[in-house]
Amino acid sequence: MIEEKSLKNKLFSLPGLIVAVVLVAAIALPLVISYFNLPPYQIHVFIVGYYFAILASSWALLAGYAGQFSFAHMAFMAIGAYTAGILGQQLGTNVITGIIIGTVMAGFWGFLIGVLCLRLRRTYLALFTIAFSEILRLVLNAERQVTGGPDGMSFNPLVAGTTSNIPPYYIHLALLIGVLIFMYALANSRFGLFWRSIREDEEAAAAMGVHVVRYKVMVFVITAMIAGLAGAVHWHYVSIVTPNDLLIRQMSIVITMAVIGGIESLIAAALGAIVIQYGLEFMRPLGSWRLVVFGLLLMVTLRFFQNGLLYPLLQRLYRRGAEAETVAKRQVASEP
Amino acid sequence: MILELKNIGKHFGGLQVLQNVDLAIEEPQLIGLIGPNGAGKTTLTNIMDGVYKPNEGEVWLKGERVDGKKPYEIARRGFGRTFQVTRAFRRMTVMENMLVPAMALHPGAKKREVMEKAYGVLEFLTIEHLVNEYGRGLSGGQQKLLELGRLLMLDPDIIILDEPFAGVHPKLQETIYEYINKARTEGKAIVLISHDMGSIFALSERLVVLDFGQVIADGHPDEVKTNPAVIEAYLGKDEEEENLA
Amino acid sequence: MDSIIFEACLNNFHYLLGLILNGLIVGAIYALMAIGLTVIFSVLGIVSFAHGEFYMIGGFVTYFLLENLIDIDIYIPVIGTIATIAMPWYVAILLSGVVTFFLGSIFEQTFLRPMFSGKVERPGEYAILVTFGLAFFLQYLTLAIIGPFPVKADRFVSFDIPKILGQITIASNRIIAASVAVIAIGSTLYYLQRTWTGRALRAVSQDKDAAAVTGINPQRMNRFAFGLGCMLAGMAGATLVQVFSWVFDVGVVASAKSFVIIVLGGMGSVPGALFGGLIIGVVEALGTGCFPDPSRSLAYRDAFGLIIFALILLFRPQGFFGRKL
Repeated sequence: MIEEKSLKNKLFSLPGLIVAVVLVAAIALPLVISYFNLPPYQIHVFIVGYYFAILASSWALLAGYAGQFSFAHMAFMAIGAYTAGILGQQLGTNVITGIIIGTVMAGFWGFLIGVLCLRLRRTYLALFTIAFSEILRLVLNAERQVTGGPDGMSFNPLVAGTTSNIPPYYIHLALLIGVLIFMYALANSRFGLFWRSIREDEEAAAAMGVHVVRYKVMVFVITAMIAGLAGAVHWHYVSIVTPNDLLIRQMSIVITMAVIGGIESLIAAALGAIVIQYGLEFMRPLGSWRLVVFGLLLMVTLRFFQNGLLYPLLQRLYRRGAEAETVAKRQVASEP
Repeated sequence: MILELKNIGKHFGGLQVLQNVDLAIEEPQLIGLIGPNGAGKTTLTNIMDGVYKPNEGEVWLKGERVDGKKPYEIARRGFGRTFQVTRAFRRMTVMENMLVPAMALHPGAKKREVMEKAYGVLEFLTIEHLVNEYGRGLSGGQQKLLELGRLLMLDPDIIILDEPFAGVHPKLQETIYEYINKARTEGKAIVLISHDMGSIFALSERLVVLDFGQVIADGHPDEVKTNPAVIEAYLGKDEEEENLA
Repeated sequence: MDSIIFEACLNNFHYLLGLILNGLIVGAIYALMAIGLTVIFSVLGIVSFAHGEFYMIGGFVTYFLLENLIDIDIYIPVIGTIATIAMPWYVAILLSGVVTFFLGSIFEQTFLRPMFSGKVERPGEYAILVTFGLAFFLQYLTLAIIGPFPVKADRFVSFDIPKILGQITIASNRIIAASVAVIAIGSTLYYLQRTWTGRALRAVSQDKDAAAVTGINPQRMNRFAFGLGCMLAGMAGATLVQVFSWVFDVGVVASAKSFVIIVLGGMGSVPGALFGGLIIGVVEALGTGCFPDPSRSLAYRDAFGLIIFALILLFRPQGFFGRKL
């Protein structure tokens, strides 16, 4: 009657197979690129893609799973990045320490904003976070002595002693995989259950004994920290960050990625990010128009495909996998 | 003493919705709560459950003062309710719906055991075949049953059922009757809010009548039926008058 | 330097009064925008995250009407000559309003109406995301068409203003902007209170179902209210394009400010939006004028609004004119 699929089943089902193939491809990618003598820039495109994949999937956890619509995700990313950068530049701390403190700082701000806004109706969170993001950008611009203002702030290299972008590639990939596994585990724990019940109906969840505000703040802090972590790592790799690289405009891109992928699925959101990042590079000759295209695509996706474009595809594959499995089982069962 | 409301008053702006409401539920019994539309029944439920804070008065649950506490705290102390409009978690499966209160109450519980208990409850409610369906895929009546099932997973000492029969297919209504009887035999106090006078009189051991935010009658259904204040409150409202008679 | 400015705030009455007057002037325009957002919120029950983009578009429309169509050649058939007239600035502002009204209405009809007719799941999140998507789209569309370089319209009217009390100066472009804002706010209030459509709008905002029973078509009211809200934002932008320099993302900060104002005033309250706008205008002016470090004060002007926002959420989330939550 009630079955929890065994790990073995999961691994050998079709979706498991797809995940394995994607994983192998991602690991082998730099080798392929160097084997065919393609420009290393191709690797950079994927690094940026993984960075956005972390942001889009963690935003999907917050918005799609827990139903909290925040526009401050890139602001937390910026807090992580700038904290790490400032520590490295001003105090000379090493890269790892900077990244850790940056992550914690993003979580701290996430906690403050979460406690402030999450007691209230959810429109307030969207309203406040948009204002917060914009003002953070202005402050980063204004505090020249500390942040470098509009000229940007430089970072110590992510991996010292090499200009190759292969180590950063694997660091980003590992981070993405680690974050996805972590969030997947959370989503399937009782916390995921509570988050989804809150998304569906806060009042009913509270009447069922769910401490609504606590779990909302929890998911907010966790996703803020993931964003801060991604920011701290990524901008160490890029080596210079300016306030205009961040915040609202980039936030719209992250949201577009998550929505087109499908905000109810972490994997779909991550894939959406990688696909769109590649699409943006591919369409570079179009200049600003490519973002017009994606803006329109975002609106059309919302209107007609609310579950995203990639998520339904993944679901179909998954279902086909599940069906194949049942057919196989039935065959086994019917054999004498 | 399971639940006690002492001199409850509540107003929204200038509108006095409840006034001097006293209600004591000392033992597990089935109490019908009736009153014309706008009498304050739902507001009273929301005060018991912590959604609203009363402007005057106190709420005591099992010897502990709970007014001012949050809904989740009150729920964890053994208070369960349904909503007038069904509020199943629509994008979660029936089983996941059932798991929410159990996991919220007992974070350390073994998922397997909880699932088995939930399955048993669903069987009792005759919706076990829907266990993997999403909430939004259920009919209105099935969603009501799911809500009742969720409530059992919370294992409360007192249950408020707000219009449990409204819009429910007669077959499923029978299941709800059984549910109420089962909850009673398990020693739970039940407050039944309904416009369906037939079931109210059939089920209640005690009847409380609310009108214009005040308790105008409280006693055995037969006494209440002949209470002049109640008749006055209901007279002129044709359907309900018939029902009462 | 720092201390001089700070002391001026404490001791120089004229300086302080000048700041407050300037604050009220800017505040009037903020109020105009926030009233637009309030009309949308109270009728449709949603917050438009693209509100600032209509402000941006309104500004650009006026700019291009004035800069590129400054002389219109009109062929007069009977006489057979060509008369050249300049586009009057107030016509440009009105046209900005018309353009943003229609853009808003079209968006409402295509993207928001399905939400109210139940064709969209999870309407709450859809409303947030689709208006945010619109903001994204409009910003980049403007960037693609106009480019990233700021423009600024010439002053609509230039005149010398006698110094008030011998000391305080207020620029003529600001006076014009504020006058237009006051007229627009006055007309809107009159419209909402006195005309049939205005009353219908208010009826819908109070009770959709009851309004529908009395023969008001809620769908048309939604479209109209959204258009009207966008129009007010557009006209606010049109008056300010001669005051500030204008780029494709100028609406982001404007949106953020409108949000602070409607929360301060209480969401859905028109008087709240009016007073909220004036209060934020004055607070910003005082904050900027008294900030110890002038090189950073402009950047922090907008931060004062955020601090107020945080304080309201903390202590009075229903705002100052709103009903209690």
